[in-house]
Amino acid sequence: MASALTARQLTGTIAYVALSALAVAVVGLLPMDDYTMHILVQTASFSIAVFGLTVVLGLCGQINLAQAAFFGFGAYAVGLGTADLHLNFWIALAMGAGVALVMGAFLGMTTLRLGGHYLAMVTISFQQIVTLIMVNWIPVTHGPDGIGNIKRPAMFESAHAFLGLCVVAMALIGYIVWRLPQTPLGRSMRAIRDNELAAGVAGINVYRVKVAAFALSAVLGGIGGGFFAGGFAYVSPDQFSFAESIVFITMTLLGGVASPVGALIGTALLIVLPESLRFLKSVPGLYLAIYGLSIILIIRYMPDGIWGFVQYRIRRWFAPPAFTDAATELTLVPARSTNTVDAPMALEVEHLAKHFGGLKAVDDVSFSVRRGEVHALIGPNGSGKTTMLNVLSGIYKGTAGRVVLGGRDVTLLPPYARTAAGMGRTFQNIRLFRSMTALENVIIGAEHPGNDIGSGHAALVERARAALAFVGLEARAQELVTAFSYGHQRLIEIARALAGNPSLLLLDEPAAGLNSTEKQGLRDLLKRIAAKGLTILIIDHDMTLVTEVAQRITVLNFGRRIADGVAADVLRQPDVIAAYLGSEPDAPALA
Amino acid sequence: MDIVLQLLFTGLGIGAVYALVALGFVLIFRATNVVNFAQGEFSMVAAYLMVVFAVDLHWPYGWAFLASLTGMALLGAIFNLGVYYPLRNRTFLPVIIATIGASIFLANTVLALYGPQPQVLSGWFETPGIQVGPVYLDSQYLLIMGVTLVLVGFNFWFFEHTMLGKKLQATSQDKEMASLLGIPVAAMIMLTFVYSALLGGVAGILVAPILFVSIQMGSTIALKAFAATIIGGFGDVKGAIIGGLALGVIETFGAAYISVPYKDGFAFLVLVAFLIFRPQGIFGERVAEKA
Amino acid sequence: MTISRRRFTTALGASLTLPALIGRASAQGATMKIGMCAPVTGPAAESGRYAQIGAKLAVDAVNKAGGVLGKQVELIVEDDQTTNPGIVLAFSKLASQTDIVAFLGSIRSTQLHAMSPDALKVGKPVMIGGTDPALTHMGNQWYFRFRPNDSYSGKVIADYGVNTLGKKKWAIVHSTDAFGTAGGKALADALSKINGASVALDQGYSNQSQDFTPVVLAIKQSGADILGSYFTFENDLGVFARQLRQLGVTIPYVGSPSIVNITALKLAGPALYGTFGVADYAEDSSAGSKAFGKIYREVAKVAPDNQSSWTYDAVTVLCMAINKAGKTDPTAIREAILAVRKHPGAEGEYNFDANGDGLHGYNIVRNENGTIVFDKHIESAS
Repeated sequence: MASALTARQLTGTIAYVALSALAVAVVGLLPMDDYTMHILVQTASFSIAVFGLTVVLGLCGQINLAQAAFFGFGAYAVGLGTADLHLNFWIALAMGAGVALVMGAFLGMTTLRLGGHYLAMVTISFQQIVTLIMVNWIPVTHGPDGIGNIKRPAMFESAHAFLGLCVVAMALIGYIVWRLPQTPLGRSMRAIRDNELAAGVAGINVYRVKVAAFALSAVLGGIGGGFFAGGFAYVSPDQFSFAESIVFITMTLLGGVASPVGALIGTALLIVLPESLRFLKSVPGLYLAIYGLSIILIIRYMPDGIWGFVQYRIRRWFAPPAFTDAATELTLVPARSTNTVDAPMALEVEHLAKHFGGLKAVDDVSFSVRRGEVHALIGPNGSGKTTMLNVLSGIYKGTAGRVVLGGRDVTLLPPYARTAAGMGRTFQNIRLFRSMTALENVIIGAEHPGNDIGSGHAALVERARAALAFVGLEARAQELVTAFSYGHQRLIEIARALAGNPSLLLLDEPAAGLNSTEKQGLRDLLKRIAAKGLTILIIDHDMTLVTEVAQRITVLNFGRRIADGVAADVLRQPDVIAAYLGSEPDAPALA
Repeated sequence: MDIVLQLLFTGLGIGAVYALVALGFVLIFRATNVVNFAQGEFSMVAAYLMVVFAVDLHWPYGWAFLASLTGMALLGAIFNLGVYYPLRNRTFLPVIIATIGASIFLANTVLALYGPQPQVLSGWFETPGIQVGPVYLDSQYLLIMGVTLVLVGFNFWFFEHTMLGKKLQATSQDKEMASLLGIPVAAMIMLTFVYSALLGGVAGILVAPILFVSIQMGSTIALKAFAATIIGGFGDVKGAIIGGLALGVIETFGAAYISVPYKDGFAFLVLVAFLIFRPQGIFGERVAEKA
Repeated sequence: MTISRRRFTTALGASLTLPALIGRASAQGATMKIGMCAPVTGPAAESGRYAQIGAKLAVDAVNKAGGVLGKQVELIVEDDQTTNPGIVLAFSKLASQTDIVAFLGSIRSTQLHAMSPDALKVGKPVMIGGTDPALTHMGNQWYFRFRPNDSYSGKVIADYGVNTLGKKKWAIVHSTDAFGTAGGKALADALSKINGASVALDQGYSNQSQDFTPVVLAIKQSGADILGSYFTFENDLGVFARQLRQLGVTIPYVGSPSIVNITALKLAGPALYGTFGVADYAEDSSAGSKAFGKIYREVAKVAPDNQSSWTYDAVTVLCMAINKAGKTDPTAIREAILAVRKHPGAEGEYNFDANGDGLHGYNIVRNENGTIVFDKHIESAS
């Protein structure tokens, strides 16, 4: 159970420490010439920077084309610190890491509005500006002359000792990056990479995590740069240009973007390979032409990099085993009061409007959802149902009106805050985190602030298993979600929402894409959820499903509410029948 | 005042170069949602082709021009088949990196084949320029501006008023739907790359007499052209043109009145400002993700 | 054609191990080995090619005359990729071959700074072509310079402009990289020591600018009556020179050595007619330079310039010194080099001072309708 996980991790850690110790011993004691030591120092310091990219790009999915700038901050801090200001190496390194941290966070803050290509451009611009400053701000940076006489830390002045130090640093940082994916922060990053929208709705503060990812990436870049400066004793601006950022990215992708092992492989290859291929240098351009071609080929045939390719092969031997004991019973305890007598409505929507320019997708809609009920929102295609749901969950900002969840005004809150307040939802197009197992997906649903389930990983696992058992999939908890059928993936998504202890569950067309057997299973599941006292707001087109589970129905047409009340009454209203169910009087709307 | 006019002319001139290259970017982006980091290398290869045909083989300028463009069309096709098409279903990051790899490959293949010395290419006109009052108008820059104008007009006519142009637009907006309507999507994409390569090639051949033909000539322009497209509004053709011209002028005036060494920085500062405050650029539209 | 992933990875694996196997195949002969770091790839690949030609010409000449200490000279070249880590790696790779007796370094000063710690550690003579004055004044006794450093170029430009051309109000245009900044400073310093001379404009620019209109307009506005420049890249120089003429600037122009490089002449064409340059290598300046020019043209098919002349001189003087010292002991070689007096090299007459600088003056040349014509040599007190 929980201890089995830690035992696995323990063996892994021991193996890692042993390997690292061996590596340090080898580089520290084995006699080698300057040339080899230079290459190894370059590999170690570059690896640290590439680990940074593993975090921001591999884990969090955010593109950072400015890693050379952060590498440069660290290198210049150590350079200026030890050569000009005569500071201790460690202090200078810390200062460099600090500057990189601040700048990285600043860059991360631009992700508030940008992603994809735009983010790429911002990072490129940042990189170019930094290079220009390094070259032209001569009083501070010495300009193009660069900085020489960079000192190493006391006790590590010899080449061997310094190399050993670099390997130790690389091993330490590598360990952190290796373990990061399994921590809450790492899981959040992976969730954002896989599906940013779902991550927000599952309770992750997406913006904050992205800033953290950038900051972490920058700090690692800076630390790598600091060691590089100590190793080569001379730095100049041309080493920290956009071209170097591209080299870092290539190293990340070549080895395998999401793992430090991949980063190390990629770095080592791209440093050692040009050296061993020196004979190709006789024709100018030939080596680099092959380099460029190789990039294309690797992207094409080994998209997960070399290590990803290897991992894929050995995955089956390292996959965690299924759980052997029984899961606990799922308790759905809403975050707020359960007193149904004088508890406020689970959800109150007051004069909500959402306009897209001239189009009024939602036009002055009001309704309430009673605690403990199943409330359906129906209407023809284009009537504004999904838009309504998106405004309710915070993905869109409403143009007017209020949303009150369990007596609390959540109109202005971002998605993760609404989740913390007790909202859970699923999506019309299933949004699971495709690189993770069912268990991990559901754990993410469970680990948001406001979920009172006890601390520690064991509690999370227990809760996740309970949720999966509730939907009937606990036996396959350790499988990747991509191995499940569409219908089962839908159930996992519901389990993820349930694991978060919502007081209100929003379901957007949960029956879409399911066959009739799966729909029956869904119907039973919804009834079981309702039996636990959880309030549900469901959008769907399947009238059989709706009539079987819903007590109340609100009907939308062209963004307006045209009916609202007890299910049976609403479905008999003529304008509902005309708008939604068909205007032929002899087409049976109800059995 | 004389100085302002001169700076304005030069700014517009270099801006027109950015605009031409930016046009190539935008077209590929609209069709494939991919930024082609090798766009600058297209310009560079075309310039070298001109050197081979016009200077080494002594062909008449017109024939050399046609031959170079044919070469570029071929390059665009090969680029599509080799780099973009196999990766068309992946996320944008692998494609970006693949195009970066392609740019390194192209630049260094030319280096291996031709050597590192910069080459001279003569301009279209005999007279290098005309003096209008206090302002000197470089004739090649005039040609560039003229060609850019013509191409913008051509683009507009082509995309809005011809069937083929509309099919290309449809493909760029919704591949699946376009294919369901019987539009051969693969052929449309191929056409886009070929056209973009031609545009990049024309830009390179036009600017070569001014900036000389060198391996690096493409990359220095491309990055700025990319910035220009974002300023103008990514995905918008007229935005690319306006963005390019604006960038050229901003740069030139910034260099003259603020600082010459930091000249390149202005482009990026403006870009960052736009990205933070108005990421859709001057003309672009915000596209929201369907939840 | 589809390549399965498995086939691709096998091919990748093979191609990674193959070079290691091939690399073992170098023969060990009874030769005198000289190591050379040169940019074979990277932005300076062109100059690297010329440098190698110059060095090889000298090697051939030495070998024909009997070699060094009875052995034939072998030149071993490593690519420094035009980067700083690149030259450190190239140098340490060469240094690991203990039978290499001396080295040829780079023409770029930042690279020479980068490899200086390693050079000190290895303790063998390194012939350099970089012109940053600091390189021979920083306590590295293994650097021997075969081009006049920038403190001299600045003085010579100033001297010629003020005393020979009679112009006192200067505009200085320089690139913002190490070379340009140091050069611009050297010129400004030299001018400050001349009575009556003034600097009306000190303008830096970034390498690979596509447009120099703002710079040219600034020159016009400053009212300068003479222009001095330090350009690193010839394509920048070409664009600048053309725009200078287009905007009607005709003041006398004395530039750093790049102004007379063959590439610059080719690119700028008529725009550089009538300009002056300080050139450490000028074909007509001496018998030595003429002789070098002749053999160079036969091999390279282009006119020679300072990218090849210094390596020619470096190899020649180095071999001469080893022969004179009678042994390959580094200190002995060092003493022999420092004792060189009045050696007629391609760059000029070598008289080594205690710091390791072999040349202390520059030639002034004139661009006469595309041909470089030697004007005079100005020797400078240190």
